[in-house]
Formats: sequence, structure tokens, C-alpha cells
Amino acid sequence: MPLLTIATFLPILAGLALMALPDRSTRTAHAVSIAATGAVFLITLAIWARGIVAGDFAQVEEIAWIPAIGAAYRLGVDGLSLPLVLLTSLLFFLSALYSARIGERAASYVVLMLMLETASLGTFMALDGLLFYVFFEVSLVGMYFMIAGWGYEERQRAALMFFLYTLLGSLPLLLAIIGLYLGSGTFDMRVWVEGTALGGLPAMLALIAMLVTFAVKIPAFPVHTWLPAAHVQAPTAGSVILAGVMLKFGTYGLVRFAYQMTPEAFAQAGQVILAFGVVSALYGAFAALAQSDLKKMIAYTSVNHMGYVVMGVAIAALATEPRIRTIALDGATLQMVSHGLVTGALFFLVGMLQDRAHTRGIGDFGGLLGRVPWLGWAFILSAFASLGLPGLAHFPAEFQIFLATLNGMPWGLIAILAIVITAALYLRAIAGVFLGEMNDKWADMPDLDRREKLVILPLLVLTVLIGVAPGWLIDMIHTTMMGLGN
Amino acid sequence: MEMGRDLALLAPELTLAAAAMLMIVAEMFRAARLVLAIGLAGLAAATILTLPMLSVDATVFGGTYRIDLISGWAKLILLPGTALSLLLVRAEIAGRRREGSVQSLVVLVTLGALMLSGAGDMMVVVIGVVLTGLGSFALVAWPRDDAATEAAMKYLVFGAVTGSVMIYGLTFWFGGSGSTLFSKLGQLQGQTLVIITGLIAIIVGLGYKGALVPFHFWAPDAYQGAPVSIAAYLSVITKAAAFFAFAQVLRDLPRDGGWPLALAVIAAATMTYGYLAALVQTYLVRLIAYSSVAQSGYFLMGVVALGASGFAVPGILVFAAAYVAMNLGAFAVVLLAGRNLGDLEGFGRTHPWLGAAMVVFLLSLTGIPPLFGFVGKFYLLSAAVEAGYLWLAIIGILNSVLALGVYLRLVVPMYRTSSTEHPSEVGAVLAQGTVVVTVLATLLIGLAAGILPGP
Repeated sequence: MPLLTIATFLPILAGLALMALPDRSTRTAHAVSIAATGAVFLITLAIWARGIVAGDFAQVEEIAWIPAIGAAYRLGVDGLSLPLVLLTSLLFFLSALYSARIGERAASYVVLMLMLETASLGTFMALDGLLFYVFFEVSLVGMYFMIAGWGYEERQRAALMFFLYTLLGSLPLLLAIIGLYLGSGTFDMRVWVEGTALGGLPAMLALIAMLVTFAVKIPAFPVHTWLPAAHVQAPTAGSVILAGVMLKFGTYGLVRFAYQMTPEAFAQAGQVILAFGVVSALYGAFAALAQSDLKKMIAYTSVNHMGYVVMGVAIAALATEPRIRTIALDGATLQMVSHGLVTGALFFLVGMLQDRAHTRGIGDFGGLLGRVPWLGWAFILSAFASLGLPGLAHFPAEFQIFLATLNGMPWGLIAILAIVITAALYLRAIAGVFLGEMNDKWADMPDLDRREKLVILPLLVLTVLIGVAPGWLIDMIHTTMMGLGN
Repeated sequence: MEMGRDLALLAPELTLAAAAMLMIVAEMFRAARLVLAIGLAGLAAATILTLPMLSVDATVFGGTYRIDLISGWAKLILLPGTALSLLLVRAEIAGRRREGSVQSLVVLVTLGALMLSGAGDMMVVVIGVVLTGLGSFALVAWPRDDAATEAAMKYLVFGAVTGSVMIYGLTFWFGGSGSTLFSKLGQLQGQTLVIITGLIAIIVGLGYKGALVPFHFWAPDAYQGAPVSIAAYLSVITKAAAFFAFAQVLRDLPRDGGWPLALAVIAAATMTYGYLAALVQTYLVRLIAYSSVAQSGYFLMGVVALGASGFAVPGILVFAAAYVAMNLGAFAVVLLAGRNLGDLEGFGRTHPWLGAAMVVFLLSLTGIPPLFGFVGKFYLLSAAVEAGYLWLAIIGILNSVLALGVYLRLVVPMYRTSSTEHPSEVGAVLAQGTVVVTVLATLLIGLAAGILPGP
């Protein structure tokens, strides 16, 4: 059974079916959405159960598409993409559950969400350069309409900025893809990842083009400015998908394209890339510290966390010892998953808070922990995870990245300063919102209901599980990274 | 014997010419419906006759007219495009004065466009330019009001001047190679000055037809003055024909004298100027007119790479097919929604399907995958990169962002809540049918790009 294809196209087909239904009421729309995303989640679990292989892509599905130019429909997974595929299907399922209260043009909303899921899964599983680009761009269109149609007050501006910025960012990738094609005569990414399609100046030009694209997507300093605007205006589920899934396009591309396809150029530029990672990590933390809006604050911590990923990949290119390279890549990949879970949870929680209070300013709250203990403790746990507390999801990832940095490029360790800053800003946010004097305005705020608990619990459980016993996930990642590190 | 073979190869053209004559006869009896029926039947028959000839590579009449990949695909693109245009014309001016004449002229202009697309000889290009030109002037002037008359006059004067320059310049090629055949242009190797003079002539003549900067001035006025359906027709059929002619002429020309560079500069200027001008338009038809100018710049990327990349000819053909589908579709929506930007206000909410179709056309014009326009642009960008014009490809992608800015100016108001009434007009069914056909083409053909010509 072509499970990868089914998982990728089931959402969009469900969306099309919904459009064709005579009954497009809010209820039906959300039922279709939950059923489709739930089914996709189960299918990705089955893909996981089938397993991956070391040193190659597993479960490859291939059909001719444009034979004249060597482009084909090719899907497959490895230890880099499979964790992200699982993360994607989980976050979309939870977003569908969370969104079940959206009444405004629910059918259109659901169709967009399902289209985004197809685009996201396709981006991670595509093994054809042209196909990857197709999915990559379709996700932009979906997110544009999501923000423009269901965002907050300033949504038109934010959506426009998001679309123009990320389109400008992604077009250089198209040139890199053309370059890789002209250098190899095929669009097969399995050929490209051997790293021999381009060399010398063309490889460096392609690398620069790819770095521009992925830096915008990640987002790394100084091309991150679209992120806070988009996040603040996006609807909650949009923020979760944007941060949890779509930022990973950037880091995934950084490893899959930049690191694997132009390895020599990447190693030459390694110091510069590492510097961008360190600066992003520090800048994200400081910028987050300056925010009083919870959502904006979390958005900036994404810049910080993604900065660590960039550092990890750069160290992998710079280090000479295979063991260190593997550790760096393991850590970077795990960090992508952890960030998706933890930041996903945080955006959900801020969304839930905003649904109740219609404000997100830290100063507007106070002493909420007694009033809404579920919401409060869930937020505190996620915040602790986000600041890298041992025993929670970010710790094993960041530990490996810093370990590799210490062995490879010790100067990069100044980024550890960012952890202190993050700790400070999260403690400040927790104190401001959940501790202290209770603000009487919120005296009758309801705690999480059953559906909301259902959304948040899986994320918290996984956050703890990865923190305490990350073996099951790291083993899968390691299977592939062992090959990439050598 | 020879004549018999030639005529068999020319079956599509002859069928269309016969249909055009019959249309004029039917118009004498003021039977507008019959005129349309003959036109559609002729276009369909010519299209079907083209299908078995796609793999033919031959010339007729002593090499002056080519039956090859370019002219074959040109017919497959231009003939259905013309049929859709006829439907739009019917939707817009059904029952009005001399409807049948407009329909006949449209088919005659398409005949000229086919001549341009198959030209193997300088004189055939001249005939093609004149034939498309004369019909177009009359079509633009059809409304007989001040705006249309002025636009048609501008168009005519511009056409007369550029046509004369072209004929004068082509005499240099004739003098240099001793023949009017393009296949003999290889003999100009080394005669750089002659190459350049003739080339300037071609750029002026065909650049005018294809609305390249700086020969585009007529286009926004003509599109604005003409009926929307005629603007739609002129913006796709005569323009695509101009680039097919470019491909026929330049693929035999030695790549010296720096002409690829000169064309690359014109391409960059055309796309940039077109989108910048489109950004500030408030009149919907003018906005699309300038966006069409910008699209000409993309076509020209393929022309720049002729002879240096296997993507050049397929790129021009695929992009032309995509462009015909998406631009005709966008114009069809304009026909239904109204000519002003304000008419789009809330259109996507009151007409969800037409609104969604418009979004598809605009995203495809931007070049967002997996839509048809993306495939065309992808081939053209690949051609430019392979030919060593990386800077042109970079300008091309930067302009895609500008394009998005232009097209989002249409998308955003479409989904605003508003109370603007959108009265359904007479003949809306035909225009809607055109939208359905073009939107399916835009959505699906890109996914099935394997059936299109490739390098």
C-alpha cells in the first residue's frame, strides 16, 4: 500500500469532498476535518511502524511525471523526515480538534487547513526537487489565506507581508533547484543528496540561494521580521502550524538541501552559518525579553530555538570527528521535534487564554493559577520545557547541540547565555500571568474544558516523555544521521 | 505532386481560411449565430487536423512556411484560445451591431497569427504582421466611441511605423544572405552589422506586436478602448504569435553581435516596467494590460536562450499555452465582474466559485506551483540559467514578487465584505463556460506537464 501517498493526499481529497458536499455546515466541516486529520495521523503511525533503513530513503513511492526533464513523483522517508512527518500529522490533528469551535466560514477554513496538511507532509516526504518546490509553495498560499481570512485586527497587512516576504525568500531556492538539475540532469533528490551535482562556484551560488530561502523560513536573524507580525495576527491553529510545522521547512531544508546537496560549500561557509545561528539564538532571546504580548514573546523564542538548530547543523559541517558531527545532527533534528511540540502547546495555551480574556498582554493578568489550574500548570510545564529544563523535551536536544559545539567550535557556546535570558523571560511571564495578585476582572474565568484538555495533554505527555526517555525518538533520528555525519 | 503534399500539410490553415470566408458570407445575411457556429466548427476542425501533424517537421512552398514543432503547438494553443475568445465576444456583444463582423475578423486575425507562428521567410512574417494588424485595428475601433477611436488610431499609427521600420531593416538581411529565407540566416555569420540591423527591425516589428517595452504604449489604451473580450483576445493570441515568430526567426540566427544580451535587457525592462506600472493602476483592464506587458518579458527570456538551451523552445510553447489559459480566464472574470477595480469589491464572497477561479488565474500568473503558469515560468527560467543569463533569471524571480503584489491588489478586495451589487449580464453562461475551461486547464495541465513539449 502506498501509505505515503495516501497520507499526503487524503487531507486535500477530504477537503475537495467537503466542497462537493451539499451540507457544508460548521458541524459537518469540523467532523470531516477531525476525521481526515485523525486518519492521517494513524496512517503516519503505520508508516513509522514500517520503519526506516540506515543510509537510504525507505518506503519510496515513484511514478513518472515529466519524463522529458527527469522529474518524477517521488516520496520517501528517512530519520530526518519521518519524525517531522509524525509531528506534522499530530499537530494538524490537534489543531483540527482545537478549531472545532470556529464558526466563521468553517468549511473554507477546514479546506485550507487540509490543503496545508497535504502541502506540509508533501514537503517533508518529497524526494523530487520540483515536487518539493511545489509543496513548499502551496503551503505559502494556504497560510496566506489562513491569516488573511481568520486572523486578528491587522491581518491583511500581516498576511501580505508574510506572503511577499516568504515568496521573495523561496524563489532563490527555485534557482538553486534549476542549478542542481542542470548539474545532474535529474530532479531526483536521492541523486542530489550525494552532494556531487554541483561543485566550485556554482555550488557556492546554489548554497547562498538555498540559505536565503531557508533563513527566511527558519527564520534566522536578520530576515525574521515577518514572523512576529504573522504570528500575532494569525488565528491560534495557524500559529501552531506556522511555528510547529512550517518553520521546520526551513531547518529541514537546511539539512536536506544545503548540508547534504552542497556539502563542500557548506563546510566552507560553516563559520558564517554558525555565526548566524548564534546571533539568532541570542537575538531571539533578547527580543522575546522585551515583549509584553505573550504571543509575540513566544514567537521570538522560536527565533531563539531555531537558532540552536542552525548552530547544530553548522557544527556538523565544521567538526572533523564523525562522532561529533552525528551528535550535532541528532541534536538539531531532535530540537526541531521538541520545538514543534513545546511551542505548539504554548501557542494553543495562549490561544485558549485569549479566547477567554480577549487580550494577551502579560500585564493584563495576574494570579490566574488559582482560578484556572489546568491552563496554568500546562503553561508552566511548557514554559519550563521551552527554557530547556532537564527532564523536558528541549533538554536532550540542546544538550547534544551544545556538547557538539563545545567539541567543535567552543566560541559558539556564548549562545548558552540565551538560555539564561529565556529562563528569565518565562519566569517573568509565569509570575505576571499566573502568580501574584489576582486580577478581579478574571474572577469567573473558566478552566480548560474537555476538548481543550484533549488538545493539550498529548503534547504535555510527549514533552515529558522526550525529556525523560528520548531513546525511541533519537534512535530513529540516529539511524540516518550516522550516515550523514560520516 | 509537390503542391499536393504542401496542401495536405496546410490543411488546418486552409480549413480556417475557408471558415473565415464562410463567416463573412454568413455575416452578409446578418446571421450572427451562424457566423459563430461556422467559426467554432472551423476552429475545431483545424485543431483536430493539427493533431496528427505534431511530429511532422517539414516546410512548404519552397521553405517559406514551416510545419514543425513550433507551428504545430502554436495551432494547438491559438485555435482553442480563439474559440474561447469567440465565446467571450458572443457573451459581451451578442445582438449588437455587426457582431458577425467582429467574429469573422477575430478568425482572420488568428489566421495571421498562424502565419507568424510558422514563418520561415521574411515575407511571411511581414504578411503575418499586416494581417494580424489590420484586423486588430478594426476590432479595437468597434465600439465607435471616442476612447476606442483614439486607441485604434494610436494602434494603427504605431503599427504602420513599426511595420515600415521592420520591412526596411529586413532588406539588410536579404542583402546579406541573398535570400528571404530564415534558414539561410546562418550565412550571415561574421556580418555583425547586418545581423544587428535586421534584428533591430525584427525587434521593432514583433516587439510592437508582443508589447515589449518600449513598444508597448499602444497596449493599455487599446485594451481599455476595445471591448473586454477583444482586449482578452488581443492580449493572448496576437502576443503569443509574436513570440512564436521570434522563435522561428531567431533559432537560425548565429548568436553573435550581442543580440541575446540586447534582448535580455529588453526582457528585464519589460517585466519590471510592466509590473511597476500595474502596481499603480486603478482601472482593472489597464492593470491587466500592464501585467500582460510584464508577461511579455518572461516570454522574451525564452527568446534570449534560443540556440543555447533546450528549454528555450519548449519554454515559449508551454508558457504560451499557460498564458492563453490564465489570461483569457482572468479577462473572462473581468467581463463578469466589471472593468473597475472597485467592481471586484466583495466579488469573491458573492460569487465564491468565480472568485476562487480568479485567485487561481492570478496565482498562476504570479507563477505559484503547481499551476500551469509555474511550469511555463520554470522552463523559461531554466532556459535563461542554462544559456548563462543567471542575472536575467534573478530579475525574473524578483519580478514574481512584484507580480504577487500586483495580483494581491485584486485578491484582497474580492474577499472584503461589501454591498456592491454584481448584476448577472446577458450571456453570462458563455463567459462562465470560458472560466470553467480555462480554470481546469490552469489547474490540471500543469500537473500533467509530461504531455507538453520538453527539452
